[in-house]
Parts: sequence; C-alpha cells; structure tokens
Amino acid sequence: MLWFEREVVGALTTTTDQSIRSSVEAFVDGALRDWPEHLRLGVAAESVLLGTWAAVLRALGRLPAGDPAALRELLDRWEHGPIGLVRSYVRAMKSLVIMAEHDMLAEEAA
Amino acid sequence: MGDLTTEVLVIGSGAGGAVTAAALAEAGRTVTVVEEGPWVDPDEHEPFSLAEMVAKYRHRGAGAALGNPPIAYAEGRCVGGSTEINSGLYHRLPEHLAQEWRTTYGIDEFTPEVLEAYAERVESQLSVARLPGAPPPSSAVLERGATKLGWRNVEFARVFSYDEAGRGTKQTMSRTMLPRARAAGATIIPDCRVVSLVRQGDRVVAARCRRTHPGGGVERLTIHADHVFVCCGAVHTPALLQRSGIRHNVGNGLKMHPTIKVAARFPHPVDHGDVPMHRVTEFSPFIAIGGSASRRGQVAMALADTGQPIDEAMADWENISTYYAAIRSEGSGRVVALPGLRSPIVTYSLSEADLSRLARGLVHLGELLLAAGAVELHPSVTGGHVVRRLDELGIWWDQVTRARANLMTVHLTSSLRMGEDRRRTGTDSFGRVWGFRNLRVNDASLLPDAPGVNPQAAIMAIATRNCDHFLADA
Repeated sequence: MLWFEREVVGALTTTTDQSIRSSVEAFVDGALRDWPEHLRLGVAAESVLLGTWAAVLRALGRLPAGDPAALRELLDRWEHGPIGLVRSYVRAMKSLVIMAEHDMLAEEAA
Repeated sequence: MGDLTTEVLVIGSGAGGAVTAAALAEAGRTVTVVEEGPWVDPDEHEPFSLAEMVAKYRHRGAGAALGNPPIAYAEGRCVGGSTEINSGLYHRLPEHLAQEWRTTYGIDEFTPEVLEAYAERVESQLSVARLPGAPPPSSAVLERGATKLGWRNVEFARVFSYDEAGRGTKQTMSRTMLPRARAAGATIIPDCRVVSLVRQGDRVVAARCRRTHPGGGVERLTIHADHVFVCCGAVHTPALLQRSGIRHNVGNGLKMHPTIKVAARFPHPVDHGDVPMHRVTEFSPFIAIGGSASRRGQVAMALADTGQPIDEAMADWENISTYYAAIRSEGSGRVVALPGLRSPIVTYSLSEADLSRLARGLVHLGELLLAAGAVELHPSVTGGHVVRRLDELGIWWDQVTRARANLMTVHLTSSLRMGEDRRRTGTDSFGRVWGFRNLRVNDASLLPDAPGVNPQAAIMAIATRNCDHFLADA
C-alpha cells in the first residue's frame, strides 16, 4: 500500500480500537494487492497524484498536517467533484474501508 | 514440469463446469476438472462475510467493468465457482426469451419444451425448494409493499435443501455436482490456473497450467486431452480463448444486469443473515426488484453511497436492509485479454435508455419500500437525496446520472453467444467453438443475452443439454 493510501485508510477509519484499525488496513492492503493489475495500476497512479496534491495543499497551509478530519473533508470534496476518475478513487477506497470496518465491528460485537 | 492425460478436460468448476463434469463422468468418460481457485469447506465462512470474500471471491469481490459509469461486479473464485457465493435463487429461463434467442441467433434444438425437460432434470438432481414457513422480515417487506401497491411479486425457489427444523443448506456445486462427478471417477484439481490452450490445426490438444501447491510452490503442468470444455464464466472464458489466439466473436457482446440499490430504514429490526427470496416482477422483464445481502458491512457501504455521513443511520443499522432494482440492459461490453496482464480488461457501455430504466427502477423501488413501511431511503447515488416521503421520490429521476450513480452487478453473460449465425456467435448451437472440432464452451458466456433473472438455472439446463449433444456426437 502506498503512503497516501495508508493515510486515506487511516482518515476513513472511524473506530478508535487499534486492533480493528490495523485489521482494516491489512484488509485494504490485501484487497489492493488482489485487484486486477490494470485497476491497481490506475489506483496507484491516482494515489501518487492525489498524494502530491495533498502535500502541495499542506505546504501552502491549506490542509492541516496530521489531521484526519481535514483529509476526510478533502476526500468528501473529491467524491462530489467533477472528475470521474477521482470520484471513483474515493468511492473505491471508502467502500473497502467502510465495509471492512463495519464487518469487523459486527464480528467483535458477536 | 508435470504432464497429465485425460479424455475430457473441464476448465472451471462453477454452474457450467460442475454440471459438465458430472454428466460426462457419469456417462463413463474420463474427466479431469481444473479450478483456478482453492477448495474451501462450504461451511467454513459466514455467507457474505468479509472472511468469505477473502476466501472465495475473485479480487475479494472488487471486479469492475470500466465505463461511464464504471460498474462493480463480483465473481466466485473457488471450487464451485459463483454458486458458492450467490444467493441460490433459482429461475428457469423465461419461455419468451428461449423463443427470441432461438430465432435471433439461429439456435438449434432450443425450444421452450426442450429447455423445460432439461430444467426438470437439473431440478431432480438438486434440491430446488421454497422456504418452509413464513419469509424473514427482510423478504416479507417486498411482499407487503407489492401487495399494497397491487404489484405482481413472487417468492422464488432457491437451490436449497431444508431439514425438519427448516434450516436451509445451499446446494452449491461443491455439495452437489462435484461430489457426483468425483464419485463417477472424475479428478478435481484446485489451485490450478490454465494459462493457455495448445492448438494443433482444428484441435486443442493440451492446456498449459500453473498449479499452486499448499506450501506456495508453483508447478507448471501440461494436461493433454481429447476434448476440452472451457467453463470459466463470462469474463474468464473469453480471456482464456483470447490468450490462446482464438478471437472470432470472443469477448464482445458482454451483457449484465446493472443494479442500483437503496438502503431502507424501518421502524423495526430486520434480519441480516440471508438474502430476501421475494422478487417484484411487476416491471419484468426490463426491471426486477429484490433484496441484497445486508450484513453490517454491506449496510454501511450502501449508506455511504450517498456520500453523506453514516454514523446516525448506522446507530440503527439493525433496522436497515438493502434492496435493489436490476435492469435488462441495452448496452454491452467487452472482455479483452492483454499480453502480460493476468486479469482481462472488462468494459461496459450503458445506453441512455439503460440510465433512464435505472432511474425508473430506483423510483419504483422507493415507492415499494415506503409502501412496506420504510421510514428512510438512502439511494446508491452520490449526493442522492435521502427520501422519507412519497412526494420526495421524484427528485431521484434527475439524480441518476452517469456521474452520480453507483452501480454493481453479479450476473455477467453473453461474451461468446451460441447459435448457427456465425456473424453473431462464437460457438455453434451446442457450445462448440467455431473452427475447432474438440473445443467447447459450457457456461454463462453462451447465453445470447442477460436473462433478466438469476442465470444459474439457465446455465445448468443449457450445459446439461450440450453434454447430451456431445455424448451423442463424440
């Protein structure tokens, strides 16, 4: 998993339970490895571009560093934005994280 | 490098491959089945759980057909194929489709009567039954809503057997046809991926495989065969043929049932362990309405499709279940295997009429769920309006756009198509690939179009028919 993907997964995971957070990250990492190569390549390229964009915003002081809530807001804007590939990127990452986190929370509750 | 020799090689062990293996082994043929995925104990994982997705789904359920919009899809990748992961709903091929396909594609021996006889044979080999007793709340919702609106609805039979206490066991291929095949002498090799077929003139003489051993080592294996049946499903059958240099009408014309969803909140708890067995058929054959798997993870994912915060709704997740409207699509797609890539590229192009049909399906689904007592509806549309009253539903018409609709499917078909019209088909009426004497396809790729219902029953009936033809012929 690339550095920005790890950051995105961390921002989208809401539970404070560290073991579930780690399991979610491991699941997403495994899922990305398991994806068809062309999809994985596309997502990786987007991760580099969007990660660079986020770094630029941070350098300009428009995105607080180390603030998952601020990154979540940025992801929300991208999800509702005009660029289809970026929307798909956010939706894909969100789906993986949300599904994994809630399934694991249900398992734990059981 | 190892070498094996068999009379019949069946590649893939899902609804098409397992039926083929059982029919041919029971007829006395020497059969070897290879399956790319692992053997997984059917009782090992909770249905539709994350653990099941990791163990049994290809790409952990994250396939996607590229297009505008992209469409997510899921397929099985284990012994038994997608029958191990689907809902087990069973629906014979509608008569009017058999008639239409026969005429349009010139399919021989494809009358409703012939197919009905094969469907009966399949049903006698599996347990096809309706749920004993009352339906679970998530399914009763569909019945209640449809009855209030005066819409046609039906409880579908499923490929399930029920014990005296009413507990159901899905009759997957790993529980039914594959044990039959093995009992008749067939060999089943899991974790064995066929890389390409070896051609010699108008025959396929062998398959080049890579077999992964439990310790992780990979062995190159060549399987020599007199007859080869490719049954890898609508995505991987054309991909294998293309990798083997076989391209005439292979991989184009892919069809699916694009599906749009709603997460519906009720004032009472709903069950989450099973998939609703009722379907609303009022708008058939173009729109089908039903229910989806709704474990906590799936509910959360469905709620998140609007792009709005889900915490408040998730606090009440036990009252939420997910439902869908699936359409018969005018659009079509392609499967393209590129050199060097393990996975083929899948594309799908929705027509404007498809998009309009999806919007109509979503609105009808909303009407139905509100009539059934839902108090809040979250559509799988980014920025989609969360609806609480009937008069708010109209807004969905304008919100189902290419940019905002989140679509998925579990039914992929038609990437070769059978029939005597060579301009439109990749195989003859019985699945024999054009230009080859001993190469056949026997899976969902053969269906000329998406049938508008779960295709498993049609795949099994057609596969049985094609085996009879093969046995009479070869």
